[in-house]
This record gives sequence, structure tokens and C-alpha cells, in this order.
Amino acid sequence: MNRFLIKSLLLVFFFPTLLFAQGDTTPVKGIHANTPRVHALTHATIVTAPSEMLEDATMVIRDGIIESVGANVEAPGDARIWDMTGKTVYAGFIDAYSQYGMPEGLKIFSPSRGATEGPPKKMPPTPSQSGASSWNPLVTPERDAADHFKSNKKATESLNDTGFTTVATFPARGIFRGQGLLVNTDGQSLNDSTVKTGLAQHIAFDHWSQSRTERPNDGDSYPSSTMGSIALVRQTLYDAKWYTDAAEAYDKNPDQLEKPEENAALEALKLLTNQNQWALFKADDELAYQRVEKVADEFGLEYAILGNGYEYRRADILKSLGKTVILPLSFPKTPHVERPDKSLNLSLEQLQHWELAPSNAAFLAKAGVSFCFTAHFNPDPGKSVWNAIRESVKRGLSEEDALAAITTNPALLYDVDAQLGTIVAGKIANLTVATGNLFTDEKARVSELWIQGNYVEKKPAKEIDLEGTWEFSWAGVGGFETGTIKGSGQKISLKTGKVTIPVSLQNSEILFSASPTLLGENEESGLARLQAYVSDDTLSGSGQLPNGDNFSWSAVKNAKENNEEEEEEKEKDNDKDKKEQEIPELVFDRYPAGVYGVGQREKSETVLIQNATIWTSGPDGVLEENDLLIQDGKIVSVGKNLKAPRNSIIVDAYGKHVTPGLIDCHSHIAGSGGINEGASAVSVEVRIGDIINPADINIYRQLAGGLTTSNILHGSANPMGGQSQVIKLRWGKDAEDLKFEGARPSVKFALGENVKRSRSPDSTRYPQSRMGVEQVFITNFRAAEDYERRWADFNAGRSLAPPRIDLRKAAALEILRRERVIHIHSYRQDEILMFARLAKKLNLEVAAFQHILEGYKVADALAEIGAGGSSFSDWWAYKFEVIDAIPYNGAIMHNAGVITSFNSDDAELATRLNTEAAKAVKYGGLSEEEALKFVTLNPAIQLRIDDRVGSLEKGKEADFVIWSDHPLSTYAHPEQTWIDGIKYFDKEESQAQFESDASERERLVQKALKQRIKEFKLETKKAPEKDPPGEPRPEESPDWIYHDGSNHYSCSAEEEGAHL
Amino acid sequence: MRSTFIKHTLLSLAAVSIFWICNAHDQVPGTKQAKPILLTNGTIHTVTGATISNGQLLFENGRITAVSRRVDVPDNCEVIDVEGKHVYPGLISSVSSIGLVEINSVRATIDFGELGSFNPNIRAEVAVNPDSELIPVTRANGVLVAHVMPSTYRGGLIGGSTAVMKLDGWTTEDMTLSAPVAMSITWPRDPRTSQFHPEDTNPDNAQKAEENYATAINKLEDAFKDARAFWKAKNKGDKTLDVDLRWEALAPVLNKTAPAHVYADSARQIRDAVHWAKREAINLVIFGGTDAWRLTELLSENDVAVVVGGVNKLPRQRWESYDTQFRNTVKLHQAGVKFAIGYASRGANERNLPYEAGKAVAHGLPKEEALKAITIYPAEILGVANRLGSLEAGKDATLIVTTGDPLDIRSNVEMAFIEGRTVDLSSRHTQLYEKYQQRYQQN
Repeated sequence: MNRFLIKSLLLVFFFPTLLFAQGDTTPVKGIHANTPRVHALTHATIVTAPSEMLEDATMVIRDGIIESVGANVEAPGDARIWDMTGKTVYAGFIDAYSQYGMPEGLKIFSPSRGATEGPPKKMPPTPSQSGASSWNPLVTPERDAADHFKSNKKATESLNDTGFTTVATFPARGIFRGQGLLVNTDGQSLNDSTVKTGLAQHIAFDHWSQSRTERPNDGDSYPSSTMGSIALVRQTLYDAKWYTDAAEAYDKNPDQLEKPEENAALEALKLLTNQNQWALFKADDELAYQRVEKVADEFGLEYAILGNGYEYRRADILKSLGKTVILPLSFPKTPHVERPDKSLNLSLEQLQHWELAPSNAAFLAKAGVSFCFTAHFNPDPGKSVWNAIRESVKRGLSEEDALAAITTNPALLYDVDAQLGTIVAGKIANLTVATGNLFTDEKARVSELWIQGNYVEKKPAKEIDLEGTWEFSWAGVGGFETGTIKGSGQKISLKTGKVTIPVSLQNSEILFSASPTLLGENEESGLARLQAYVSDDTLSGSGQLPNGDNFSWSAVKNAKENNEEEEEEKEKDNDKDKKEQEIPELVFDRYPAGVYGVGQREKSETVLIQNATIWTSGPDGVLEENDLLIQDGKIVSVGKNLKAPRNSIIVDAYGKHVTPGLIDCHSHIAGSGGINEGASAVSVEVRIGDIINPADINIYRQLAGGLTTSNILHGSANPMGGQSQVIKLRWGKDAEDLKFEGARPSVKFALGENVKRSRSPDSTRYPQSRMGVEQVFITNFRAAEDYERRWADFNAGRSLAPPRIDLRKAAALEILRRERVIHIHSYRQDEILMFARLAKKLNLEVAAFQHILEGYKVADALAEIGAGGSSFSDWWAYKFEVIDAIPYNGAIMHNAGVITSFNSDDAELATRLNTEAAKAVKYGGLSEEEALKFVTLNPAIQLRIDDRVGSLEKGKEADFVIWSDHPLSTYAHPEQTWIDGIKYFDKEESQAQFESDASERERLVQKALKQRIKEFKLETKKAPEKDPPGEPRPEESPDWIYHDGSNHYSCSAEEEGAHL
Repeated sequence: MRSTFIKHTLLSLAAVSIFWICNAHDQVPGTKQAKPILLTNGTIHTVTGATISNGQLLFENGRITAVSRRVDVPDNCEVIDVEGKHVYPGLISSVSSIGLVEINSVRATIDFGELGSFNPNIRAEVAVNPDSELIPVTRANGVLVAHVMPSTYRGGLIGGSTAVMKLDGWTTEDMTLSAPVAMSITWPRDPRTSQFHPEDTNPDNAQKAEENYATAINKLEDAFKDARAFWKAKNKGDKTLDVDLRWEALAPVLNKTAPAHVYADSARQIRDAVHWAKREAINLVIFGGTDAWRLTELLSENDVAVVVGGVNKLPRQRWESYDTQFRNTVKLHQAGVKFAIGYASRGANERNLPYEAGKAVAHGLPKEEALKAITIYPAEILGVANRLGSLEAGKDATLIVTTGDPLDIRSNVEMAFIEGRTVDLSSRHTQLYEKYQQRYQQN
């Protein structure tokens, strides 16, 4: 029998058949099969551990365990001998993350995986949890991968092809997704292939808005934003702690207490909250790492991060966290840059990512971050996973680190390093065998696996290459002696002498027919049929002449006589490729990625601005030809002829105007994953501070418009929205550094059309009328009082049942105690008056009524409770409740003694608040000085930060703008914008940086174009690839942090994509 | 006061109040100019000629009869001293939906477009509500004329014919200055996969978007073929030909008496629209024109004008410089492309048109060009330069008197005339302002 047949037999009988009984407990049905499981692998190159290699060594495996390994090890007499000459043996590779064996309903599909799997048009629904489950269907920590696992032949083969003997697999739906399983990929029952259960709790900040098919109705879709998801994670972990306490309390006093609720989800989470299990957090994007850290820190969780491919952008942060990251082994395809107009849509950071993504692991290794690899997100595992690993090695990742990322690191991560990860006596005999060095040799491939001491042959994956000159020998006929085969796939031909014959290749068999004369026969009529099996460089065949006579033949490839010209050409190509690949060392040293990214930010200097018209927005009013001195980020003095201290920077601002940095009291930029947690009428537990996006390009655009501070508010979908975050526009810093440290905590409330869901006629969410809106406030503040009392009773020992920590009620209580001030979205005078009276009654602190377009009708009610009014200058008629909006609103409120500001609620409008202020001069005749305060001092007062910013006075923070012209003129533009005494925007420098960024983009386009031309050649041969490229994303992400910055949310219209 | 009180009573019932919105605003249209009016001692900004300080402007029967330092004053003339003031031609809003939309979020008040792909027979001027509250608010800031354009619904292509409307009058007929002006066309949507998900790599979505784009262009081409076939038959005198309103209405575009006004923002859309117009041998004006600055050579070579949809706009792409849109018209001007500045703001904010022009000045457009971009240039592009856009003898007396530069927010409009009629500059806004000031005075 030839080798092919043996292989076929192995495939049919060997592979899918159970090698041994399903666990010890399963009764034997037929004959007791007891083949000794002792093997000796001899003459092998054995990589026993990263950076440890034995040549010509022997390894003995007995009953699934490595018995011995070494150069001088003798094969025992009872062992079956396997000659491994020329092969390299690695410890079995471990894929640190997968959804292997999970049912469809527990997987998440990403569009980029569509290429091979075919994207399901509808995501299969998640199976619902039965039993005493969590109230929220996204909270399923009790779900265990082991309960749902079912091995799948295709997926097993795919993992084996890549060389993985072991994978970690997790259920992948929801927020608390459940516990993982470490399993060997031998396709056996879990009784045998389980390595470890209860690996870790898989957590993701997912929410309903991400799901394309499953989203429930309005009121039941909590959470519907990333911040809501983070809040739910927090609440659930508090609940898990409470669950333990409540059970304890009950056990002590079963006769005095009602039995606390039964909850399987909270029960399962005890492992996590008691530090008996760790969490695997999915990081959707580069902003997630710090979010994870904050939550984990709050609850003392140990954790690892499931990454996304953008880790290199935040290598410094990951280093400081000191946690293991699982990196995807898939890189973006070459951007389709060949169509000029269309490629305008390719942003600089996308092109940069295409260039840098393969360096991800190398960058992290350099930074000292511990990582594992996962092949899970690769749309086409097998070959391309190894291409990705080899590319990582080419980019500077050491072979040792690469090997560790699929052996020792995952073994450590899952605490199975005593069993797996290296080739040492006593460990499980999981081995990956390759034909060469997989990490450097492009021709090396995985040839076989050993899993738990059993041989697993891979299906033949090698591509058959027939090209070359063959020497033929014939038995029964006298055929030709040599022939040349060219081509591959559907177009193969055999040329002998002057005759060319088409050849068909089917699986491992070639078929062709030839004239009998070619075979030395005399008869000319009819054709001889020939067939042969291909095995490496030999053909073993048979044939039949037209007269029915059979014959045999074989052929051997003559390696030397390849077409020399072609070889030369190939070599030239290779040389060219090498030269092109010799690029200067890649770095990622500016943040955010893309245009206007910032390197090292300068420290604050001592700066003297001279001879400017200074609009102090303070008691000094407007000072002409005056100086401004700043030191250590603070204003030292404003006055005439100030002396410059030594080493200070002097800016001559003669003819220019200097104003305080502008402040926007109502903005929705710089958030990610949604800024509305609209599923519930009350969501005061959610925090904008959790989802700040420092990469939002609007930060830079607004900085260029003179804005320095912005109040990032929750949306207006619900009466009691979420916690706000004041930021300074410190472009280039990370999310935490953007926050206005020490700003008074505040919350966003809302009234009117939006909160009663006017635009959703099918909504079933309470409230549906302005009358109901009032009651939402009353009932929730009453509930907060009850909550306070319950805790007081417990703390004083008056009650034995420990209350829950309820983040929603706790936030409401902060508001009641005036620890958290209110910004309330409002339009009509009746609702304004309602809330003003309620605030008075409950002694709430209303910092500002927002929008407040009918504030002019009841300005006295605002003044009475000391509330500010933060309004649009002149917007109106965009919805019914603003039909009475007038541009005189600001002036009337101001004249009635209300602290008044003009805000943007819009990414574009916030780039020009100075001219918005001018409208208070135009409509209502305020002085220019007072008008400017509408966007400087007054919003600072409303944000309770006026002791630090909002005016140019001694001791305040040095946030200011140098204008080319009168700051209220449409002809003025900022020349410089400073924050904390640091120049964050300079028109000239900005222009220069943009030009440099633009040429960087052109370089990348050119580089991609070269690559595309090569691919294009290939594509014309293959089936054309579908458009477009872009960045493959691991999984669907709802809100791309590097968006184009268009106004996708404005709560004035409360509509995604609203353009007014 | 009484009528306002009644209004507010009605406000409590939404259905009734929508009915109310569609009712009249309180401003009475100006009466026909009865006697000559002389504006004297003001600075006359003629736009097309020199600016005359301390000059005079005379208009009679709705037309300007003389502009000079000193003009001959007829006997019965009303003399208005505008010392220290400035006189400008009325500003022209060249991208407008005024009168077609009252409140964007209230469906009942929206009439901006019709269903279906091809609506060349739709006429904007018949549905401009003369009593829209938006009209007095807009003209109070000097915008006296609006180019009202029907737009399209759900992937529609031809919106209908546009009209230049005076922002005063008892009826639509009073208000119509010129119609049809042009054929409003929305170029097919750029198959950019998704504005908010630039990473959307689903090949199916992208492929579909590409196919939709190509199909829509084919559809537009087919429509023009059909229209030509229709007119070929009609011109032959085919008596059996049934009427097709759509193709009848396309005639002015086909015979180049009216241009196609194509709304196109991206470079790809603009380029494809220009090539299309060339193939069809029709006159084209690009509206929107966000990426027009990238294609100045193509535009000037083909003599295509651009009406930008605004200056205060964010860049189209994340990677573009922050001032890309502030400098769009600067680059068009430098390259010699004919342009006007519009403000595609769906009605309510059209009064801020001059500040769009002002913003371009802040970023390099010469002041005179900015003023022209909202006066004479749109008049030329809309084919009404014989009547509007500058202060010249023979043109309509459609003009404003201001306290200063109208491109600066701090200036105010003190007087306005449309065809010599005095325009009431009060509005819903001034009325509510006055009404509620009284509330605080009473207290």
C-alpha cells in the first residue's frame, strides 16, 4: 500500500474514533483495548522551553505523561519508536482565549470574521438562564463553559492545523459572561480532555445597543451604554458581597429575619469577590484598560485583559497595571488606497495602525508587558496565524517571547504550569511537532500533534506543487523520459517534447490523457488514460491504452532542472521585497494616534504676555495694553509694564486680545459607548467619568476655538440621568488627566419632550407626561431617604438585615445632601417652575437649568433658588417645546439676577463660543464685557470652579486665549490657547504639525499602494476580494473612539446623527 | 396682547397648537412704495462698485434710481437721514427651506420634499408658507431673499424646481421673485460605509453601498434619457404622446435655460456630478460642496459654481485640519472658482448667514469677497443679478440699513426694504421679548 492510502486509512479510522474509553467510569462495551501507551520520540530537535533546545534528543511518553527527555535518554523496550529526524518538537501550544465548543448562542460574531465563517444575518439569540438567575439577562456569572461545551470537528481541526493542543474557552455573551474551561483539542469528551474548569470569570462592558437583533424594548434594555454597563458591573459586585453578608446574618438570626433572596448569579460571584477566582476582562478598545483597573481596584479583583490589537498605543499604561494581556493574532488588511477619492475616507490613524499592528507584541515585550496570544480573532486561522506570529518576530519580538506567549505564559495565567507549557518529565505529554522552526521558517508547518500522550495526525494540509521537470519510468509501455509540469490549481499542463497536455489535479491525484504514440505505441486512434497519486516529489501511477491494455508508470521530480530564468526572477523579486521591507524602526510615540497627536508635552513655563488688550472677566474689567504674567501654571499678576522674571518666555501680543479660556457648560464630546443610559427613567448611578475618550478629535478642534474647559453631560433621555464630568481640554493626555480634578460632582437631570419619549410613540417607559416627570423625582428622592434610614438603622444595630449598597439610591442621596449639584435640561416655563419649586422644597442645589429656553418667562424663580441658566444663544424652532425660544433669553435672565451662560450642546458650536457670547450684545444689549462672561466666568460659577478658572485674576489657573482680533468679532480666531500655563494650541505650530501629519499620511498611502499592487495581481488571478478593507475589529464595537467627530449626539434634539 | 393671550391658551393642546403654528405671524406685509425714498448721509456699500461714505441712495416704485454722493431729489420724496449708518443690499440665503419647514421634529409642519426618485415637476414656491414665524425672524437680520429648494426623501434624486422668494408678502405669489430657478438634485449618497463606524469592515455592507451608488447614478442617467426621448417625440409633433409631468418639467434643464443644482459634498460625489453634467451637456451648480476645495481645477475648468452649505462646519474627515471648512471658500476664491456662501440650517438659523461669511474672513477670505458671497454672487448664480445683489440704479430696492458691518454679530439691522416696501422688523422673538419684560416690570 502506498503512503497516501495509509494516510487515508488513518484519517478515516484513526482520527474520529475514540482512542480510549471516555474516562475511567465509563463501562467497556466490547473488547478491552489496552494497547500500551508508551512512545519514544527519537532524533528530534526538542524545544523544551522558550530558549532551551535539545538536538537529536529522545523523549519518552508513558500513559499520557512525559517520562523523560534528553539527549542521552534511551528508548525503553516497551516503547513504540517514532523517528523524528528533521522535526522540531515544541510543548503543545495553548490558545489563551477562544469560544471553542460553545453553542452559537454563546458566541459573538464579528463582521470581519465573515470572510470565512459567513456572517450570520441574525445573531443567534442568547439562551436565557433559568433558575434563580439575575434580574438582568446580561448578568450570567453562573454560566460555565463546561456545561455548554460540545466539541466541533471543524473547529478542532482548525485549532490542530495551527498547532494548538490546548485552548481556553469562554461563553461570550453578556456582561458577566461566565466561567471558562481549559480543554485539550483532541475532540474527545470533556471527561478526558478537560484540563481545568472554572478558569476565570469573563467580564465585558457590553450593553444592549451593541446587539443588532436582541435589543429588548425601551424600558428593559438596561444597560444601553458602556457607562451603564460599568455601573452594572459595580452594582453586581456590591450585590455579591451583600449576598454573602445577608446569608450570614440570616444564618445567625433565622428566627428574626426573612430569608434573603436566592440568587445563583450572586452565588457564583462569591468566588470572584472572595478572591478565589480572577476575572478576564474584555477590552473593547485602547481606553478600556484603565476602566478595568478602576473597577478591579474598587473590589480587589485579580484580573487579566483580553486585548484588541491596539495595545501598543497604551503600552505604558499596561506596563503600569502589571497584568497579563491576551493579544489577538490578526492584523488589518492592506487599506484599499487605489481609488483616490474613496481613500480620502482612510484616516491617518487607520493607516498607522495598518503599519504598526504587527509590531503590537514586539512593542509590549519591549515595554515589559506580559502577554499571551489568541488565534481566536483571526478570520482565517491555520496559515495566517503563523504568518502573524512570524511577522511579529520579524518586527523584533524574540522567538522565546513568541513561544512563551503560546506555551508558558498561558500555562501560568491559567495556573497549569505544573502540567503544561514546557517539555519536562512529569508534565502532560502535549506536543506540537513541526517540520522546522515555526517562528522563523516560512516553509515550516505543523506536521502532527501529541495530546495527552496520544498521536494526533493532522489532515494533509500541504499544497501540492507539481511545477518542475519530472523523470518518468514506464512498465508495459515505452513512454517519454522527461516532461515539464507548469501551473497550479485549475491550470496545469505537462509538456514533453513539443506536445503540451492539460493535467487535472484532484485532491492528491493527477489525471490526464495522451495519444498512444507518446507512449511508444503505433496505433494513433483513441487516447490513453493516465492517473497517478502525488506524494511529495513522486508520482505513482497507472494507465490504460485505448485497446484496454493496462500499464504502470511513475515519475520523480528532478529538483535541479527547474527553470533557471524563473528562479532568477523570483530571487530578484525577493531582493526587492527585502529592500522595501527595510524600513526605519517603527515607533508609536504620539498620543492620540492620527492627526495632531502629541509627543512629550512641555512643562508649564514662566510666561509674560505683553501689551495685549486683556479681558479679565474679573473686577478689573477690560485692560488695554496690559501684561499677563504666569508661573507654575498659575496667574501671578495682570497689570501694566510687568517685569519678566529670569528665563521667562515673552510673548508680544500688541494689538491682540487675551481672554480667559472659554468654558462650555453643556457638551457631549469626549465620551465613548454612548452618553445616554436611556433604558431607565433613573440612571444616576452611571458616570460620564467612566467613559472619557481623550482621542476624540473634537477636543483638539475646540481647543483651536479657544475652549479650555468643558462640562461633559449625560444625555437627556431620562429625568434623572447620569453623573457629569468636567474636563480640561488637555489634548494628548489620557482620560484621567483630562478630568478637572476637584470639580464639584454634578448630575444631569432632564424635563420635557425627551424624557417623556415624545419621539418614540411605542415607548412603554414611565413617564409619558410632564406630570409623571415630577413624580419620578419625588418617588426617587423619597426612596433615597428610606435608603438612608435603613443604613442608619443597621449601623446603629436597630436592624439585623444588612442593606444593599445601592449605587442609584446612594447617588440620589448625594444629591439630596447637596454633595452633588444638578444640571437640568429644561425648556418650558411650567416645567422649569415645577422643578424650581421642588428644588426649594427639598433643598436641592441646582447649579444650572440647561437650555432653559423659556427661562426668560420665569427668571425670578431661578434667581430665587440661586440657580444658573445655561442656554443656547439663539437656537429655536427645532422642536415643539422650543417654539417660544428667543435670543433675548440670556439678557433677560442676566438682568433678573440669574448667573447666565451660553453653551454649545454641539461639537461644532463649541468651536466658536466667543461669537455666541456676542449675541448677548446683539439681543438684549449687554455690554461686551458682560457678554464675554457668558462663556468664561459665568459657566465657571455654574460649574463651581470659579475659584480656579473663568477669569484672569491673580492666583487662578493660567487658562487663557490669545485672539487675533476683538474676541466677540466673527473675524477673530485664536492664535494660542493655554491651559495650566502650558500652550496646548498655537495656530502656526498647528499648521506645521498638520503638514507633517499629512505627508506622513501620504507616505503610508504610498506604502499601502505598493502592497496593494502586489495583492491586486494576486486578486486578478483569484476571485476578486470584496471591498473595503479598513481595520478588522475583534468584535463589534458600538462607538469607535477614533470617529470623524461629526455631531452624533445633541440632547437639544435627542437624536443620533442630528444635524440642525 | 390679546391675540398672544389666546395663543397661549391654545398652546396646551398640541394638536390645536400645530394648527396654530400654521397660522399667521403678526407682521403685516409692507405696502407698495407710494413715493420716492431717499436714504442720505449713510455709508453706501454698493458691493459691485466703490463704497460711498456719506452718500445718498434714491429708490422709486420699488427700484433703485440713483446711488451717488449726491443725487437729484424729486419733490415728493421722503428723506430718511441715515447718518452713521450703513446701507447694504439685502442678503440672499442661497440654500433655504424657509416656509417649507416650521419645526423640524414636528412632521405635520414639514413640506421639504416629495416621495419617489424623480420629482422635477414639484414646485417650491407653491408651498412656502408666507405666515411662517421663521420669515420675520430671518429677515430681521438682513436676510431678505431666500432660494427655497425642495429636497428629496429616502434616496430620492430629483427634488423639484427651486424658487427665489422675497421674505415678505401676503401670498406666495407676492413673495415669488423668480421661479423656476433651477432643478434641485440630490446626488446619490457617498458609499462611505458608515460615518460613525469607519471600521465597519463587513464586506457585504460596503459592497452593497457601492452597488447602490452605481445604481442610483444609472437611474439618474436613465431619467435624462427618458426625458430626452419624451421631448424628441413631442418635438416631432407626436399627437399620440401621453403626458408625463416629470419629463415636461425637465425641459429647462435639458435646453440649458435652467441649471441643475446638485447637492454633493464629498470629492467623489462632486467629481461624478461634474462629469455627469458634462456628459449630459447641462449647466451645473454644486451645493453643499464640503470637499469642493479639493477639486478647484475640475470646477474652474468646467465653469461650475459652488454654493457651500456653510463655513462653520467640522472637517469631513478626522484626519483633516481643524480649519478645513473655514478655508473652503478661501481656496475656491484663490483658484477662481465662482462661489456663494449659504447656510444649510433648515430654516430656523438662516438669520446667521452673514456670520458664516464672517468666519471665512477670519481664516483668509477678503472681506469684500465674503460680502459678495452672500449678495451679488448668489444673485448671479441664481440668475437674478439684474434685480438683486448690489446697490445699482435699475435694481430692486431690496436693501438694509445697519448700525455697522452686517458680518459682525454686534451690528444690528435698523431698516429693511424689499422692492421699496418697508419691512416690519419685529418678529415672534421681539414680541415675546417685549411681552415678558413687562412681567418683570409689573412685579
